[in-house]
Amino acid sequence: MKWTALLFIFLLPAGERLQGQPAPKPANRYVGSEACKTCHADVWLNFYRNPHYKSIASGKAAPAETGCEGCHGPGGDHVAARGGKATIRTFSTFTSQQTLEACLGCHSKDLSKANIRRSPHTEADVVCTNCHSIHKAATPKFLLAKVQKDLCYTCHAGERAQFEMPSKHRVNEGVVQCTDCHNPHGSYAANRMGSGSAMLQPAFDNEEPCLKCHVDKRGPFVYEHPSVRVEGCQACHVPHGSMNAKLLRRPVVFTMCLECHNGVGTFGRENLGVFRTPATHNLLDPKYQHCTLCHVRIHGSNSDPTFLR
Amino acid sequence: MRRPAILALFLFPALAWAPSMRAQDTVAPTTGETTLSARGENTGNYNVVQQWEFGYRFASVGGDDGKYRSDVNYGDGIRLLSSYLTVNSRDGHGNWFDEITLSTQGLGNDPYESANFRIQKNRWYRYDLLWRSNNYFNPGLTVADGEHLENTTYRLQDHDLTLFPQSWFRVRAGYSRTTQDGPALTTEQEFDPQGDVFPIFRDTREQYNEYRLAADIVLKSFRLSVLHRWEYFKDDTTDNLTATELGSPIDPSLLSGFSRAQPYRGRTQGWLVNLYAERQWIAANGRFTYAGGRGDFIQNESAVGVDRFGNPQNVQFLVTGNGDRPVISGDLNVTLFPASRLSVTNNTSVSNTRMIGSNSYEEFNNTTFTAQTLNFQFLGLLLITNSTDVRYRFSKKLDAFAGFRYSDRRIRSTEDEAAPASPFQGLSAEQSNRLDAGVAGVSWLPIQDLRVHLETEIGRNDHPFAPISDGNYNIIRTRTQYRKKNYTLGGGYVENYNNNSIAITAFSSHSRTYTGNASWNIKSGLSLDTSYSKLHLDTIGGVAFFTGSPIGGPISLINQESLYISNIHAGNLSLHFPVTAHADLYLGYNITKDTGDGRSSLAAQTTPVGQLLYNVQTFPLTYQSPMLRLSVKLTSKLRYNLGYQYYGYHEEFGLLSVNQSYRAHTGYTSLLWSF
Repeated sequence: MKWTALLFIFLLPAGERLQGQPAPKPANRYVGSEACKTCHADVWLNFYRNPHYKSIASGKAAPAETGCEGCHGPGGDHVAARGGKATIRTFSTFTSQQTLEACLGCHSKDLSKANIRRSPHTEADVVCTNCHSIHKAATPKFLLAKVQKDLCYTCHAGERAQFEMPSKHRVNEGVVQCTDCHNPHGSYAANRMGSGSAMLQPAFDNEEPCLKCHVDKRGPFVYEHPSVRVEGCQACHVPHGSMNAKLLRRPVVFTMCLECHNGVGTFGRENLGVFRTPATHNLLDPKYQHCTLCHVRIHGSNSDPTFLR
Repeated sequence: MRRPAILALFLFPALAWAPSMRAQDTVAPTTGETTLSARGENTGNYNVVQQWEFGYRFASVGGDDGKYRSDVNYGDGIRLLSSYLTVNSRDGHGNWFDEITLSTQGLGNDPYESANFRIQKNRWYRYDLLWRSNNYFNPGLTVADGEHLENTTYRLQDHDLTLFPQSWFRVRAGYSRTTQDGPALTTEQEFDPQGDVFPIFRDTREQYNEYRLAADIVLKSFRLSVLHRWEYFKDDTTDNLTATELGSPIDPSLLSGFSRAQPYRGRTQGWLVNLYAERQWIAANGRFTYAGGRGDFIQNESAVGVDRFGNPQNVQFLVTGNGDRPVISGDLNVTLFPASRLSVTNNTSVSNTRMIGSNSYEEFNNTTFTAQTLNFQFLGLLLITNSTDVRYRFSKKLDAFAGFRYSDRRIRSTEDEAAPASPFQGLSAEQSNRLDAGVAGVSWLPIQDLRVHLETEIGRNDHPFAPISDGNYNIIRTRTQYRKKNYTLGGGYVENYNNNSIAITAFSSHSRTYTGNASWNIKSGLSLDTSYSKLHLDTIGGVAFFTGSPIGGPISLINQESLYISNIHAGNLSLHFPVTAHADLYLGYNITKDTGDGRSSLAAQTTPVGQLLYNVQTFPLTYQSPMLRLSVKLTSKLRYNLGYQYYGYHEEFGLLSVNQSYRAHTGYTSLLWSF
């Protein structure tokens, strides 16, 4: 019975979204984009380069889904009043929710925006026009208001500081982008516990984003390093940038390894504490201070349970 | 009008003294200058906009060249520093295409090269290509004493073709390829577990190929996406010894021959199904994914030499086996809009990862069979998460949300190591971790253009997996932004406190990040950007280890606390201004300084263990990079550019007796050209 009711709900005819979107006045009418260019020649001049021009070029879309009026609503009153913000939908007067709904009218169909309604950006009132500029885009793809990194840095200054550290992913150098690892429109829950998903874009649909590039760390291995699989790469690495080599959380390896491998507590996969180093490992001997000198396959091994080969 | 600005400054105290914002790029390619024509050039039914930057880059490095290459890596040579091209049909009805966009960076042997290309024909197809190359160099001095040196090249390419992109039925096909190859050094410990470690030359050859095929169907307010992917990974890396390696002076061991082949073949088949539906008061989104990964391998390793007791050794290891990792996950998100001001979102996710590996391990010494085992490993992770968030808009200026997150994870493992034909005696373990977390936040516009966001999260985990895992944690995030047409002021504070303690040891981590930034476009061509961040981290963890030689003795078990203090100040300043009507100057300065716990040298401690731990508690260093760029307009389609950037890396004291300070002078000269 419940399923029938649910099915019925979804099969109802699609209604216009209400979420704060101002409904056009009944008397208002669509006038077509040609009417707009009379006054807004500066916008119209290069509009054929805009991805939204497709709707005009197709010539088949309904008036409410094409050209200027596709976003700004019917322009009849606006033309009659010879302009004015009060007679047309202007994004500068919209609340963030109205902006979101206006754009999702068409763009909710994209798989990449499937989680936009619950994304941390939406919850923080950061919506489409905070990052995208429809008429003054800095990038031809995705109509970003600035180059991607500068756009993200506008709010994420702490992350910017990390990308300027000596050891970092090459975002400022232009070879890595924030969206390689994150989906700013929201993502599915990461396969991990802890605080938030950070809008991580999983690799291969459900794995750590790091593995998109670092495919050699993916395995599957016969001997997995459990902390890598259970807590993720961040157990040892700071993904944006670090003052330490190889994006490590500590400047030398042994302090990081020993924080887990101290043999106490009920930690680890066997609940007996993560085993400590053996008595043969004299930590005052420099050889044993560089754990990965011997444990070279620390991300996972096919032949040795202690990752020696 | 002045009051909001003053208020904003009051809210962001960091700005009052911070040298003021925008990300500092590398000196080249030239950014912020252009010869692009807004109108472009019309050719037939197409409009063309393009710009190319050719130039010469130079670098001169003093100090640790390896560390410079690890951090920066720019070298000398002629480059196509950047390019930009768009071709658009003017009526949206081109013959074969309606749009081409191309942008490149660093082509011609910069360490960071990329090309981004799109071609599309409205309604029919869209093709995207992203190609990237990254030269990776890392001497790993502090990590592996310089014996894990890598000098490899990552190349990544992603091809995506969408057919009927504007239709209710879309077909997507894709291909991605990632390769890593190049020389590297690694290490190998042979003959016995306490023996010496020898450097080995590695020829890295890894290749990953992925093929994707997907379809999207949009029907009324439903959208169904189905994706199938095939992935293949190939690793043909080999390790060899090029010359006899001697052991340490006190150890007679030597390695006179070594070779290792370890071909690995991995393949994964994956599925993704997503169903999305929206109605006036509900939005629902369900996803199912499956990825069945498998890898087969053979490892053949042989080593000839002398062990630490002076005995000649000739060992060989043969390992064959495979690993499987099927991963299944499902998500259901439902957002309800019971009233125009209220939304309620619930997400439920289930993820099941199973890792199963087995191998046959054989060891020979001087042609004598010395060991044969069959090994089995299983690690299973089942994670169920559920979150509910309620959001209410009190007014246009104020909304608040609160939520509860629940995660339950079950970890199972089984392992067995046995001689052939002996019965299976697997050792199994199982545990559950449960995390409950509450979140709450508020977004507020106290005055026009000023946005304040506050958020907090408190979580409790009943059984953290590792000492460093989230145990009892509290997070506070605040962000404020005041945005006017030509200037932006921003500030933020994030605090993350995690306490995960038990009776014998404790792990506590406390991080605080303060940020402030300002950006001001004073007038055309004149702009100022500045930012300041302070990232403070204190951690304390319990460590246990042994000291003393098994031969010389005595052996002691040490239980100590390991401290780590990082206190990073990061500042950024960039100023762009016209010098004359035809010349623009860009000045930039970026500094990142970790003052650690305040020390600038290492003091003597009373015990060797105390000294060792004291030496690695903090890592003060300064990394700074001032730059200057002059761009001169020669004609409306030609600019001449000249730039200089300094990189200075200075460690206050070396870690484990390694100091990697360097200074580098880099620069370029180029022509920015449109034709």
